[in-house]
Amino acid sequence: MNKKILIVEDDVVFCRLLTKFLSRNNYEVMDAQNGKDAFELMEMNEFKLAILDYRLPDMTGLEILEKLKSKSPGSKIILITRYGDQDIANQAIEKGADAFISKPINPNELLEVINKL
Amino acid sequence: MKLSISKNVHLVEPGDFEPTDHWYPRVLNSNIHPLVSYFLNLTHEQLAERYHRLHPQSDLASLLEILRYQPQYFRWAGTDLMHVTNHEGNRKLTVIETNSCPSGQKSMPLLDLNVEQGGYKRLIEKTFKPMVDAHTMDGALAVIYDKNPMENIGYAATIADVFEENVFLAKFDKADIDPPVKFDGGIMYVRNEKEEWVKVRAAFRYVTQEPWTRLPKQTKTLILNPIEACLSGGRNKEIASAAYDVFNEQFKDKGIGIFTPKTFRKVKYAELQGHFDRLGGSMVIKVPDSNAGQGVYTVVSQKELDHAMAEINPDDEYLIQELIHSNFSKNLDPTKAWYHVGTIPDSKGRSFAFDLRLMMHATDEGIRPLAVYSRRSRFPLNQELPEDMNSWEVYGTNLSIKGEDGWTYADERLMLFDIRNFGQLGLGIDELIKGFIQSAMAVYAIDQNAIKIYGSSPIKDYFTTQNQES
Repeated sequence: MNKKILIVEDDVVFCRLLTKFLSRNNYEVMDAQNGKDAFELMEMNEFKLAILDYRLPDMTGLEILEKLKSKSPGSKIILITRYGDQDIANQAIEKGADAFISKPINPNELLEVINKL
Repeated sequence: MKLSISKNVHLVEPGDFEPTDHWYPRVLNSNIHPLVSYFLNLTHEQLAERYHRLHPQSDLASLLEILRYQPQYFRWAGTDLMHVTNHEGNRKLTVIETNSCPSGQKSMPLLDLNVEQGGYKRLIEKTFKPMVDAHTMDGALAVIYDKNPMENIGYAATIADVFEENVFLAKFDKADIDPPVKFDGGIMYVRNEKEEWVKVRAAFRYVTQEPWTRLPKQTKTLILNPIEACLSGGRNKEIASAAYDVFNEQFKDKGIGIFTPKTFRKVKYAELQGHFDRLGGSMVIKVPDSNAGQGVYTVVSQKELDHAMAEINPDDEYLIQELIHSNFSKNLDPTKAWYHVGTIPDSKGRSFAFDLRLMMHATDEGIRPLAVYSRRSRFPLNQELPEDMNSWEVYGTNLSIKGEDGWTYADERLMLFDIRNFGQLGLGIDELIKGFIQSAMAVYAIDQNAIKIYGSSPIKDYFTTQNQES
C-alpha cells in the first residue's frame, strides 16, 4: 500500500468501480459522494491524493481542492471535468490542481496520471 | 471500462469482470455445500419424480409440464420461501413472495470453481443470450438498474464477455429528473459520451422501485424481464396472490398447488382491525407493491397494529396474511396455525426464523434453479419478545437497510448455502426440491397471468420455432 487516495464523486457506481480498480493496484482508497462527507473524511485522514469531480450535489470540486490544499499543502489533486470544460480545468490548475482529466474516465489512463504525480 | 461516459452511464468492456467486485467477501472464500450442488444438478425428471414420491397425490405429468414450461414474460425470478410446520409436524416450504428482479448472485458460492463468473454467466448464457440472438434488431446492449450495483456491474461485465461487445451500464432511478435512459416508440435509448441517444436492442433490467413509472409495455427493445412480468405479479403481491389462486384451481385435480400463508386481498384500511381480531391478534400487513422488506408489517399486538395503521395510507388497500408463528404466539387455533421451523439451535440454544431465496431462470430445458441463500431474523423464535421490541425483529428476515446514503445490508444475518452455514438451516435435499417446485409453480402462475392479460409475447415464437427444429 503506497498512497491513501480520496475520491469524491456523486455517482456511487463510479466510486465503486474506481475504488476497486485502485485497490487492486495497491492504493488505499476512501470515497465520498458529496462535499460534506469529503470534509469529514479529510478531518480524520491524511490523503496524499484526491480525485475530485467538479460537479457535486452540495459544492464544486474546487472548494474541496482549496480545503485540502490548505490542510495538506503537499497533497496532490486531480480534478475530473466533463468533456470540453476547459475553463474549469484552467481554474483548477490556477487553484493548485496537479492534473485534470475529462470524462469519460479510462481507469488505466487515470492510473498512469496518478503514478506520474 | 470507461467511467462516466455520461451522467450515471458507464461503458463496460469485455474483460472487465473482476470476481472480487461481484461477490460479498465471505462468499469468495466459501465452498458450496455438496448437497446444494447435488440439488442444483438434478434433472427435471429427478426433481419431479422425487416431489411425486414426497406428495403421492401429485400428478407427475403436470409437475414435468411446469418444470419444462417456457415462460414468455417471467424468465428470471426469485422466490422467498419459509420453512414451516404445523401441530402435526407436517413441514412445508411456503411461498412468501415472488420477485421479478431478484438479487442473489453475490451471495451464492461458485457451483463450479473453474467458471469464475458463476451464476452470472449461467443466467446470461442460458437465458439472456438465446433471447437476444433470436431478436432481430440492431443496436447496443445495456444493463439498466436502480439498486444493487455489485450484481449489476457483474451482469454488465458478463454480458460484455459473452457477447464480446461493449455494454452500457445505466442507472435508471425513479427520482432522476433527467435520466440517461429513455423510450421512444417502444425502443430504449441510452445517453452516450457525446450526449447523443444510442438505440438499445436488448437490455438486462434490474429496475425495482415502481418500475412501471419508467418502463413501457410491449417494448421493441428486448428486456429481461419486461414490465409485464412485474405488472402480472412479479412485483405486486396482490396480483401474484390472485394468480396463485387461479393456478391452484387449475391444478387442484392434479394434486398440486402453491402453498402460501392464508391470504386476504384488497383489505380496506377500515377492515384491518376486524381482520386482526378474527385472526386472534396477529397478522402480516403488506403494501401490495412494496419490496425489500419495506411496507411489510408483522403485527402481534394492538400497539403494533396502531403503529402500522399510523404509517400506512388510509386510502389504499392491503394484503393481509396469517402470521407464521414463533413459540410464543398466543390465542392460536393449533389445528390451523403454522410455525417457523427455524434454524438448528446454536450453542446458546437460540433458533431463528429464516427465509430461503431461490433464484430461477428459464433455459432451453425449462425453469431451472440458479442461486440460493438464506437470511435469518435478528431475535430468536424461542425467547419471549421483550415488551419494547418490535415483532419484526423475530419474523423479519430481509437484509436490506435503507440508510441516508442508499441501501446497505445486514451481513451478520446472511446464511450462505456453503459448507459452514447450510447445516445450520436444518434443510435437507427434499426441502430444496419442495421449495424449488413451489417456486416454479409461482413463476408458471405469474407468467400465465401475464399471457392472460397481455397476450402472447414474441418470445413464444422463438421457442416454438426452436422446439420444431429440435
